[in-house]
Amino acid sequence: MNFHLKTAHGFTTLCALALCLHAPAQSAHAKAEAKPASATGPNGTVADPPNLVAITGGKLLTITHGTIEDGVVVLREGKIVAVGAASSTRVPKGAQVFDAHGMTVYPGLFDAETHLGLTEVEADENSNDLVEKSDEIEPQMRVVDAFHAETVRIPVNRINGVTNAIVAPAAEDSIAGQDALIQLYGRDSDTMIMTPDIALAMNFDGAVRRRGGGTGASKFPSTRMGVASQLRQAFLDTQHYMDEQAAAGKPDHKGEPPKKDLKYEALIPYLKGEKPVVFGAYESNEVEVAMGIAKEFHLKIILNHVSHAQDLLDTIASYHVPVIVGSIYDAPLANERYDAVFSLPAELQKRGVKIALSSISDGPVSDSRNLPYAAGYAVAYGLPYDEALKAITLNPAEMFGVGDKLGSLDVGKIGNVVIANGDPLDVRTSVQQVFIAGVPIPMSNRQTDLRDEYMPLTEKARPQ
Amino acid sequence: MVIPSFLCANRVGRFAVVLAAMAAASGLSLAQSASPTDMVIHNATVMTVTQGTIEHGSVWVHQGKIAGVGATVNAPADAVIVDASGKFLTPGIVDPHSHSALGNDINEATSPVTPSMMMIDAFDNSDAALYQALAGGVTTELLLHGSANMIGGQAVVIKNKFGLSREQMLFPGAPQSIKFASGENPKRVYGSRNELPSTRMGNFEVMRQAFEDAKAYMASWDAYNAKVAKGDKDAIAPKRDLKLEALADVLRGKLLVQIHCYRPDEFLTEEAIAKQYGYKIRAFHHALEMYKVGDQIAPTGTAIATFADWWGFKDEAWDAIPWNAVMSMHEGVRVALKSDSNDYVRRLNQEAGKMVHYGGATEEEALRMITLNPAWIIGVDDRVGSIDVGKDADLVIWNMDPLSTYARAEKVYIDGDLFFDSSLPGFGTTRFHGVMHAAGFSGAEDEDGDGL
Repeated sequence: MNFHLKTAHGFTTLCALALCLHAPAQSAHAKAEAKPASATGPNGTVADPPNLVAITGGKLLTITHGTIEDGVVVLREGKIVAVGAASSTRVPKGAQVFDAHGMTVYPGLFDAETHLGLTEVEADENSNDLVEKSDEIEPQMRVVDAFHAETVRIPVNRINGVTNAIVAPAAEDSIAGQDALIQLYGRDSDTMIMTPDIALAMNFDGAVRRRGGGTGASKFPSTRMGVASQLRQAFLDTQHYMDEQAAAGKPDHKGEPPKKDLKYEALIPYLKGEKPVVFGAYESNEVEVAMGIAKEFHLKIILNHVSHAQDLLDTIASYHVPVIVGSIYDAPLANERYDAVFSLPAELQKRGVKIALSSISDGPVSDSRNLPYAAGYAVAYGLPYDEALKAITLNPAEMFGVGDKLGSLDVGKIGNVVIANGDPLDVRTSVQQVFIAGVPIPMSNRQTDLRDEYMPLTEKARPQ
Repeated sequence: MVIPSFLCANRVGRFAVVLAAMAAASGLSLAQSASPTDMVIHNATVMTVTQGTIEHGSVWVHQGKIAGVGATVNAPADAVIVDASGKFLTPGIVDPHSHSALGNDINEATSPVTPSMMMIDAFDNSDAALYQALAGGVTTELLLHGSANMIGGQAVVIKNKFGLSREQMLFPGAPQSIKFASGENPKRVYGSRNELPSTRMGNFEVMRQAFEDAKAYMASWDAYNAKVAKGDKDAIAPKRDLKLEALADVLRGKLLVQIHCYRPDEFLTEEAIAKQYGYKIRAFHHALEMYKVGDQIAPTGTAIATFADWWGFKDEAWDAIPWNAVMSMHEGVRVALKSDSNDYVRRLNQEAGKMVHYGGATEEEALRMITLNPAWIIGVDDRVGSIDVGKDADLVIWNMDPLSTYARAEKVYIDGDLFFDSSLPGFGTTRFHGVMHAAGFSGAEDEDGDGL
């Protein structure tokens, strides 16, 4: 493996371990230099990670309790065990210390929708497990069954500070399957998948798959009416299945219980409101139809993909459901003002809506590493800075029911922490070190390896 | 004429009220009537691209051209003053690779050699993508044929004067560019039909044969002209062939050759073919692996127009790294960033900002990648791309450092005329008042083969 601690030729991103690490706890630095090769374990993990880490001197963006200048964060056995000002927070003896003076320290970012592990090279069909295409209603499809923990895309994206993500099927079916929550570090899929089947991925929009073809086709469904009716029938059928099951459980029941049907089984927890349904709808009319269905079946909703709803803002606020906005980069409709979508996060947040952002967009590149810049763009168009940070940390964590574990620098949460040389939302900022579950992860990946392999060419060509 | 003393930055406070009133008045008049003969954008952080950044600088615009740049300028007393205190001023952004405003007519994918296709024939000047780009500070665009064909069509260069006629949006005197392609796209398009080319071998043979045909065509004309020169009255002129004429123009060096190309082996092959047939390559587009051979391409003078951080969307983008632009620059290659997208064209300034992060470019180097260097690729660097005296007054006022995530273009001037002002109600356009045409799906012609 190529993990190493060498300083990278004028590039700063690799330097954290080599330069910033020092060791009152005697051996850390020396140990790292003595046998760097031993640092690497399977699938880009650290073979022998420290179980006690202190990040000192940085400016802490805690998310929940403001900014702390000159702060200390202590991670022990994967968890945050102390957060506070240097004056009042002790650096424990034996801790591996990361000096973050002049740096900004914040919780790992949470990407509310990705396809990580479901595709490698999208143009290569064999590498795609994005969505099952045989039917519109497929709640039994679980992305954990396809999640490829060894994808090159995870190390490429995580070194910019994204530590957690929702993995969702492509938004092509009315019910596309069930999402998973992952952390972007671990030796295999079992360690990376934090919560399988964390939410149901539903969609109601003009582009959703219609097996029957478009309007005018001869098979059902071929229209939005067909798609909506089919969705409602799926929930009605599941309710009937639940009734039959309940009846079969009674002592006086005669005959066979209903045959186990995985499709209906998959929908039961969502009909009971036990888990969230992420419902994608782009435009106002789609949002209203989706929410109508959601109310009819008492679904616990997270709205997703909302991007052209400028005329429905107050109504959306009245739903009292969280919203994953956009992509903020979705194109305005013809004759919308250029910033109609850019300003949507601000407009929704202003009305009290809990918002999150994701890296999913229409374009060819939906990279989690660019998630903080989407949040920054929302700030440019009116979203308060602290709310933008929340939209990529605590808010999505809370939406998916893991706000007690992720999304802020608080004692008891998982040790997902980022050290950067500036404002995390600015494109010019470089992340220095990412910690996932308390482990200072290797700040290398296939792309940094290629960079380092060819860097001597630039050194040779540059005037000394 | 000497600049009035109240325009000096250190004394501006005394006259702040006067300035504000003048700025407000000028905004109105600019929106409603012809632009003034003289205008001074005053007290901005001026990022010139060629001569560093001037704090509290002024730029004097005279008849649509930049007439003065500096801490003070010698504008006439009646010049309209635009107060840009606290703002940043840059040259207009130049996008050297766009398929905006071409509807669905990006690729004439019926033959791998279509050099006589003229993109101007598809140009729709009321496409909403142009407006959205203008609002992102983009003032010049090279609208290219797609990459289905080894030799595609001829590009159109526009100034983004959204609201004016098709004719008025053309960049006057801009040289003609032609689009070539290589790699996966041509071989997929034709290979999927069981036609030539279906491999990279086929790709390059199609190209070589086209140039052999062009040489024969040129020779037939040379022979005819020689006969005429000798007074042969019976000589019959060869048939004029638009396709071969266009290829001959490549060989004659009349067209700037813009090549869609990803892999290092293909950069080297393209350069070898160019040398063999005697033409120059202006730029490789995409060029995601230039960092591997930048030291070898630099001496040819060929530039690149690349993405900041796109990667992995197809096999030939698998070795893309976001350090490509800065590494290639350090290897001696002239580097531009481009959009190839109706989305990214709106925020090329932030793509440039990423270059500070990915490789430690200076702000000026990063800004040059979206201004002067793409202007060179298009062949208009003597006209636009920097804030220098004599150049066209294509200028953008930003609310803050344009390389920041938070930057917004507030005012966009082209040839000294205001075309976009974010403070105006509605679209913020000064010249456009009609109905826009919906932009195509994404304008990204090469994402994963959607548009080929």
